Amino acid sequence: MTCPSCGSAVAEGARFCEGCGAQLGAAETTPAPGPAPVPAAAAAATDHPLGDAPISAPTRKPAGTLPDPVPTPGRRPCAECGGEVGPDLYCLACGTKAPSERDHFEEQPAPWVAGVCDKALKKNRNEDAMALLASPEAGTRAVLVVLDGVSNSIDSDVASLAGARAAREVLRVPLPAGMGTPESRTAAVSRVFANAAAAANTAIIAVTDPDSPNPASATFTTAVLEGNRITWANIGDSRSYWIPDAGEPVQLTTDDSVAQSQIATGVAREVAENGPQAHAITKWLGRDSEDFVPTVGSLEVSEPGWLLACSDGLWNYASTPEAIAAQVRGAGTSEPLALALALVAFANASGGHDNITAAVARVDLGQNDSANDGTPTGAGVPGGEPSNG
Amino acid sequence: MAEFSASVYQNEFLPDGGTDVNAIVTVTCTGAGTAGQSGSGDAGEIIIVDTSGSMAAPTMAAAKDAAQAALAEIVDGTWFAVIAGADRAMLAFPQVSSGPGMVRMDTASRQAASDAISRFVGSGGTAISTWLDLAGQLFASVPEITQRHVLLLTDGENRERPGRLDESINRATGYFQADCRGAGTDWQVAEIRRIAQALLGTVDIIPSPAEMKAQFQEIMRKAMSRGVADASLRVWTPQGAEVLFVRQVSPTVEDLTSRRTPVNPLTGDYPTGAWADESRDYHIAIRVPAKAIGQEQLAARVQLALGADVVTQGLVKATWSSNSELTTRIDQQVAHYTGQAELAQMIQEGLAAKASGDEATATTKLGRAVQLAAETGNDEATSKLKKVVDVENEETGTVRLKRAVEKADEMALDTASTKTTRIRKEPT
Repeated sequence: MTCPSCGSAVAEGARFCEGCGAQLGAAETTPAPGPAPVPAAAAAATDHPLGDAPISAPTRKPAGTLPDPVPTPGRRPCAECGGEVGPDLYCLACGTKAPSERDHFEEQPAPWVAGVCDKALKKNRNEDAMALLASPEAGTRAVLVVLDGVSNSIDSDVASLAGARAAREVLRVPLPAGMGTPESRTAAVSRVFANAAAAANTAIIAVTDPDSPNPASATFTTAVLEGNRITWANIGDSRSYWIPDAGEPVQLTTDDSVAQSQIATGVAREVAENGPQAHAITKWLGRDSEDFVPTVGSLEVSEPGWLLACSDGLWNYASTPEAIAAQVRGAGTSEPLALALALVAFANASGGHDNITAAVARVDLGQNDSANDGTPTGAGVPGGEPSNG
Repeated sequence: MAEFSASVYQNEFLPDGGTDVNAIVTVTCTGAGTAGQSGSGDAGEIIIVDTSGSMAAPTMAAAKDAAQAALAEIVDGTWFAVIAGADRAMLAFPQVSSGPGMVRMDTASRQAASDAISRFVGSGGTAISTWLDLAGQLFASVPEITQRHVLLLTDGENRERPGRLDESINRATGYFQADCRGAGTDWQVAEIRRIAQALLGTVDIIPSPAEMKAQFQEIMRKAMSRGVADASLRVWTPQGAEVLFVRQVSPTVEDLTSRRTPVNPLTGDYPTGAWADESRDYHIAIRVPAKAIGQEQLAARVQLALGADVVTQGLVKATWSSNSELTTRIDQQVAHYTGQAELAQMIQEGLAAKASGDEATATTKLGRAVQLAAETGNDEATSKLKKVVDVENEETGTVRLKRAVEKADEMALDTASTKTTRIRKEPT
């Protein structure tokens, strides 16, 4: 058996390549592309990961399907000194160990959309995952998926990446418009996001050892930009933000966390987010998940800005929309990859205590569209109202 | 086709602020084949026999017999020559005065060389520099030869103006290899060891003429089994790092640190000579700038290079940790060979002190040697030490110098001082 990434020999059944760190096997076991076959409720009840799989799956990608991002060719230069990294994955100049592909990866499906998923300074393993899609034409359509594997569960690094990619497949086609009324659109969109979460859940369970005493679990956040509309879905405490270049920044998602529950009862954000239970989440994906229907919401935007999806490894150091907006604006770049790298660098410089993911889409809407006041509208699902912190 | 492999034994964990990384790298060669048969050039063998006036009749007879036996071990087709060494070097075979100074071995040339050896008569002094220089000229006269090996036998001290021998050793270094043997007890171990070490060979004493033939046969058999003509230990270290030392530690201790040839600013080659099917251990010590707890970095890439080709690589790592259980452990191999290297040093310094009449220093150093030999399980060193000192307490290294010591025993201890023992390697 050889590694599909770098060609080195790998042991049968290995989960990662010893040579380049690429994930093996598990990636191939993610569900086939196409809309998630498993209705949310049914998937929860089944033990077998593919127990409720459809008899037939689409063999052609439907129209409007977005292409996969092109992987970055070659090995990135050394993060420490910029030197060339050798085939043994150590820098040829300073000897610094190069992060494996799983420890640090970047995606840029189109020039206006990019993300960085990084192990962070203080962590041994990258359990965050990210999967992006974008239309070549700027501003048309972008999908940002971020999963944060729960660090005290086994193999959550493998599971989170499988989950992110499975959800991305569901969101490859444009969101449905419904029957014409906002209500039917909301219902149809909620259904697609439920399918995306279910597909991620199925993929996570598929790579979880059935005998694992501590099954892999992950958060789930996705933000879809279509024209001037942002639609998002969330489970757990990864987040999406809308950060206009000039206007008031907004946290789109609401955490499913102990901290958020405390905030809801009136505890100050700084107190709640730094409490002992701050990072305990109340909803997640994985074999032991009891509820994986995401909270969904949407927002129409009318000014240029950034759509950001991130894990708590980033927002730990800039939780309020204003704080994160200050970092985004402070980066002073219009290049999405440069911005994502700057945000990851900021989190690492602030301590880097947890895996960091930052995925951004650049929105360059004309200033003449004044039809919308930028107020987010909940999609009718409980908890869908964005929190302004 | 020869294949090489490398394994690294080390404790990669350094405490906060730690900078020094020690590792034992074992390089193993298999499928080496036979000298001169691998297609990368021909092999050449030169036998040098001391024919000075000091060679006593029984020694001379044994030397002739041994040299003839060595000829029998040289594989047909190998280029060879025989030198008779006295206060100047004489080309005993082939008897030519111009053109190539070596011929290919076959039945006829073996017989002719054997006849030439049987006509050796002892006379004159000992000027070893002329022997080495002639050997170099003979090798140079046959450009096809890429693997050059000399077997040198002497029985006496070199009688040349100081510095002459060293100049000739310098000329030979990196050009040919030499295994050296001293017959009897009138030669200087330090002098001959200097030749052998520079020329990547072995040194030993042949105390009685009866043992000579077997030793010559063994040396020549070994030389013929070295199918890999030349290799370098290539050591890469990161920017800002310092190579503290590079030492071969098995089968013998040889410090290679000063023999570095730069390949590029971060990489240097250390000579290892020809390889047979064998394993050699190297002790590498590198000083790297300290990094933060949790950081991992490469401290050295240790490779074996055949010309420009790297055939195997071992990675020496450094990982900074706050876990003192990890950082305080000393790797078993590193500890063992650190002890063995000190053992060699203690024996040589102890014997030198004894020779100069400094009995106090000699007692301390040889006592420490007894202690180290016991600790590292070097039974050969222990038994040789016991012929020179009376051991009162092995554990504490308390010894008394023996009053009557055979000169040959002392020299045998000296020549064997660099031989090391291995410990059984536990899979880690």
